[in-house]
Amino acid sequence: MRGQRPTVDRLDRPSAYFNNRNKRRRPGQDRRDEEDTKMQHDEPEDDPLKDATTLYVGNLSFYTTEEQVYELFSKCGEIKRLIMGLDRFNKTPCGFCFVEYYTHQDALDCMKYIGGTKLDERIIRTDLDPGFEEGRQYGRGKSGGQVRDEYREDYDEGRGGLGRAIQQAERLRDAERRDKENDHGSDHGRLR
Amino acid sequence: MADYDRRPGGDRRGYNNSKKRRYQDRPDDDDYDRRGPRRRFDAPPPHVRIRKQLLSIAENPMRPWHEEVASIANLFTDSWEDDHMLRGNFVDLILQLAVEQPLKTPFLAAVVLVANTNRPEVVDMLLTKLVANTEARIGQGEWRDVKLYLKLLACLQSCLEGDGVFPVLEELFLRAVDLQTASSEDTIGTELVKIILLTLPYVMAAAPGQWQQKAADLMEKTEIIALEPHALQILIEPYHPESSEESSTPSSSVIKLLQTQLQSEANNGWALPCLPRPWEFPPGEAEQVSKLASAAKHALPLIAIPQTVVAGPRPLFPEVYFSVYGNQEVESVPSINTAAACLIRDALLDTINIMDYNRNITARHLIEVDCFFAPRTFAARATPFDRLRDIEPPKSTWKPEDVAVDAVFSQLFQLPNPEHKLVYYHAVLTEACKLAPAAIAPSLGRAIRYLYRNVHHLDVELDSRFLDWFSHHLSNFGFTWKWTEWVDDVFLPDLHPRKAFIRGAIDKEIRLSFAQRIKNTLPEAYQDLVEPEMEKEMPDFKFLDDKTPFAAEGREIAALLRKKAADEEMQPVIERIHALALDNNLDPLVTSTDVFVTAVLHIGSKSLSHVLAAIERTKDRLTDAGAASDAARAQITTAVMTYWGGHPGVAISIVEKLLNYSILAPSAVINWALVSHAGETKGQALARAHIYELVFHTVIKVTTRIRQVAQKPALTPEDEAAHEAEVRSMRELFRAMEDALVAWATGAKDEMLEDGTADAERETFIRRWGERWLRVFRRRAAIEEAFLLEAGKEREKRAAAAAEGNGNGAEVDVELEDIA
Repeated sequence: MRGQRPTVDRLDRPSAYFNNRNKRRRPGQDRRDEEDTKMQHDEPEDDPLKDATTLYVGNLSFYTTEEQVYELFSKCGEIKRLIMGLDRFNKTPCGFCFVEYYTHQDALDCMKYIGGTKLDERIIRTDLDPGFEEGRQYGRGKSGGQVRDEYREDYDEGRGGLGRAIQQAERLRDAERRDKENDHGSDHGRLR
Repeated sequence: MADYDRRPGGDRRGYNNSKKRRYQDRPDDDDYDRRGPRRRFDAPPPHVRIRKQLLSIAENPMRPWHEEVASIANLFTDSWEDDHMLRGNFVDLILQLAVEQPLKTPFLAAVVLVANTNRPEVVDMLLTKLVANTEARIGQGEWRDVKLYLKLLACLQSCLEGDGVFPVLEELFLRAVDLQTASSEDTIGTELVKIILLTLPYVMAAAPGQWQQKAADLMEKTEIIALEPHALQILIEPYHPESSEESSTPSSSVIKLLQTQLQSEANNGWALPCLPRPWEFPPGEAEQVSKLASAAKHALPLIAIPQTVVAGPRPLFPEVYFSVYGNQEVESVPSINTAAACLIRDALLDTINIMDYNRNITARHLIEVDCFFAPRTFAARATPFDRLRDIEPPKSTWKPEDVAVDAVFSQLFQLPNPEHKLVYYHAVLTEACKLAPAAIAPSLGRAIRYLYRNVHHLDVELDSRFLDWFSHHLSNFGFTWKWTEWVDDVFLPDLHPRKAFIRGAIDKEIRLSFAQRIKNTLPEAYQDLVEPEMEKEMPDFKFLDDKTPFAAEGREIAALLRKKAADEEMQPVIERIHALALDNNLDPLVTSTDVFVTAVLHIGSKSLSHVLAAIERTKDRLTDAGAASDAARAQITTAVMTYWGGHPGVAISIVEKLLNYSILAPSAVINWALVSHAGETKGQALARAHIYELVFHTVIKVTTRIRQVAQKPALTPEDEAAHEAEVRSMRELFRAMEDALVAWATGAKDEMLEDGTADAERETFIRRWGERWLRVFRRRAAIEEAFLLEAGKEREKRAAAAAEGNGNGAEVDVELEDIA
């Protein structure tokens, strides 16, 4: 019976993000090759998430505290470790964290019961994670935060407004315009 | 991705599967067609269509059942010759759906019955597998699956030879009798009788008019077991009436209700109006009707039930029927006198508990409950409660939302524990409320009011669950609640259970959010309940104030801790505190512990990570401080609970970590709560939700640890000794709690006696809190003892089997391990 496809999707499966990232990590193979390999071993022999006890938690507000995360995530079991995601440069929260439980079952239950519900009035996202490693607590975006906060076009108050790159570009444009006006003025003056 | 997501139309994507859209660099991203030239439409092959249609059977309320059933059955039998794989797949899917989505069972049975008119072979294939699966589940003690297979079988009664499913039920009954005669605390026998009683109505609906005598005979037999009050029922009673209201009737056990409800159904010719009968065709379809009547009958292969049956992976307890919509002026849920109450509840509970892996689908089934029962069983969806009064008598006033919500609440409030973590039931209610806010939110509101009105005699464990759910639920819906309607209760004394609830709820809301946000949601009268220290993100460091004794030393220690000074540098300051304390007639160890722990908390006040790092660095000194004297150990807890007094959630997390480091022992925490702190506050502490939470968590930590060890397949002699020591200390813990709580409950507590102010109201409140706490922890103690007894038996059995196995060679040993 275990081999049967369930009649209803399970919410405690890793997201497409994890699977795609793993695919991308194999360089030098084109898609065709990859599919062939996949066909050969249908079930990857060593699933890194088989006993995962860690979850990546996304879409947090920058203002959400560790204590709030504890309060909600403890409903699925005692938390072993909590690592807040930080801006690489400012070392301030940048809207994600890793929650580590003592058991795999607690992590799965968290996927099922907490992922997609609200914390601090935002719908949060959970994803099974093979485990925290030093360095992963920092945002990988150009300006230090998460990549998704670079080019975001919607204004998200809980995550620093518009995307940082957009804000930067706007600032740059403003400065340029100002410079131009000033330059123009000074050029004008010089000509005189 | 499985079938639910493939269906066109509607946004049914799970949040996790939603296609992530990267930054939109194209303004018309949504309109941009990436699919290339449109594919020519081919109808998918029959096996795909049959699977899809079976999965969504009965979900569309606009489609008449008989049409849907006949079309699936005919598609299947028409493809019989073309696709040989299909036959097995069809049978497997029916059996899988029966245990995964049991609301659909009668409809699946109807498809099988129609298929039987053209291809009778399919029924034999199905029965063979059904019997094998049922036997396997009986062997594993998976009683719910057994029940669900029997339900499918019952719905097929009309195509079975001889007595059909009755011999199986009779055989089950014989086992139940054996078990019940062997022990009055037996729960498997009760479970078997419940299965029999829940199967019977489906037989009677599937083959009306034929089996009344058989049913009567069976029910005459089950009566004695079903009506006998169960020895354990007193433990799991959700309400704990005050001694003055002894008259209030205890809740009814589900099995007793079932027996009496079915008895009145029998007297009424088994009308069972709520059950769906999708196998009945309208008179216009005379041909189909006669084909069904003359279809082939099949012999049901024997279902072997072993002489000894096992309890299975989940501990069995008797169940009480819990409802939050009792005693209303209009019946918005079936009354406990009708079989519909138990039958609908049972089908919903199976759905809820089986599908915990997809709360979105669970919520959808709950909202669409009216699709799966007979037409006119319910009032129209989302009918406001006030409008039920206008419904003319023969029509139903049962609100589908109330029935669905009631089922979830019965799990949330099930003692000792529901099948899944409580947060699952929170999530189902949240999801249902998101899917159909206009229908569900008012039902939840009425449930909240009912529970709030009854909070004073709710079991304290359930009171705490209510608090936890309520605050969590509000956090998902913008923290909006009509607080104004409880405004009078704000002025009640803090000892009043309703006031205690309000305070607890506000604290929990703040934990999930922050004080100012919650304050903004509260009416004027509640504002003072958010105390100033609750609004401070970081508590004040009391040693900053020179008026605090040992202020200079406190600051010095904090400074040393901050620069991560060596322990040797710390010692002189600690010794200075000891000397000063002795001069002032204070306990030196208690004083230095308070200063040190408070300083550690202060340098870790920025976040839990900070405080954990600070504890990690100072754990040796903390351990020594705790080991120095009982009073010093108590002071650690006091310091934590005092420093974080405005944020009890943080305090509780820190205590939990201190327990993990063995800096605190569970008994120290319990003693602090029930003796020292409760004493200092003259019993007021018993009315504080966070004190209960602290104690409860501590007890659960102890019992969880013991259970883990007890469940190990085998214990080495050293393990065994350690385990026994742990069990002893658990028993001591429970005994200490019993002593402390009995003193509060009987008013024998010194702090209550010496008070002298003779405040009778206050004393009544405190004694009542003592009684209610006592009940919770007596139950916990009893449950753990029962568990240890079973686990011990299990280990002995395994040890005996292993010993035997060693004599016969190692292979047997391995096999037995696998089975276990």
